[in-house]
Amino acid sequence: MRATRRKTKFQADLAPREDRALRLLKKDLQLESNSDFLMDAVAIFQWAVSERRMGRRIVSEDATGERRVLLFPRLERVAPESDLPSVSIEWTKQELESLARLASRPHAAKPTPALVRALRG
Amino acid sequence: MTISIRRLAGNDETGHFDCGDEALNLYLKRHAWNNQELSSIGVSYVAVADAAPRSVIGYFTLATASAPRAGFPKKYVRGLPPYDLPLILLARLAVGRRFAGRGLGEKLLGEALRTSLRVSTEAGCRAVITDAYRERAGWYAKYGFEEIEGNANDRTVRMFLDLRTVRGAFE
Repeated sequence: MRATRRKTKFQADLAPREDRALRLLKKDLQLESNSDFLMDAVAIFQWAVSERRMGRRIVSEDATGERRVLLFPRLERVAPESDLPSVSIEWTKQELESLARLASRPHAAKPTPALVRALRG
Repeated sequence: MTISIRRLAGNDETGHFDCGDEALNLYLKRHAWNNQELSSIGVSYVAVADAAPRSVIGYFTLATASAPRAGFPKKYVRGLPPYDLPLILLARLAVGRRFAGRGLGEKLLGEALRTSLRVSTEAGCRAVITDAYRERAGWYAKYGFEEIEGNANDRTVRMFLDLRTVRGAFE
């Protein structure tokens, strides 16, 4: 016997103001049904969540290059705890040699008492 | 006085900040926020006291960086990843004059290293590096930073702290 795929019904209580906003958005986007509206909204939300989850910021830019960053508290819940940008730095040949020597040691140095205090304090 | 350290916010008060170094003062006042939110070239974390939670009394800035593997001598590449060496750059660290000598620098450094450790867990970084003023190199050395020899800049010395050492401090 083949299983039939059941669709989930979604119902929402909207205040008159939110209902008006939804109707306006549907009109602007030329969406006829609430289902289409919901599917598009979910698609955009999914994209925003996946971008923020990777640590990317969502930015809008106008013709002059002025940019605005979307700060949406719920999205920040999925952002990585530490989101650091990458920068390029210059190295001399001697520095690279010295760095490689330090980084390739099989065992790292023991933490100093000051380091332990700074990290545990 | 309770001090907390958190990411720099747009409405933080930075205008009064004075650590005695004009370049570090200017960075916080003019560039830190834009670099963090617009240019994405450094994230700043600020220390604030509970009595004035918007008034910055110290800060540090972090970014990720890398060193090109192609520049490493062959005898050292074994044990290193087969791509450019990922690093965390402690780009700036400064304490307001009024709070100097009270352990705030150590508190900021501790937070910077804890953040670096979290990043290394998520993105895989090997070490923290910083370009310290030569007269401050001894302070960093106390925490285990070692000199990377060959810096062409007279005023600063590039320093290295292995994140395995940082992790070891918790064991």
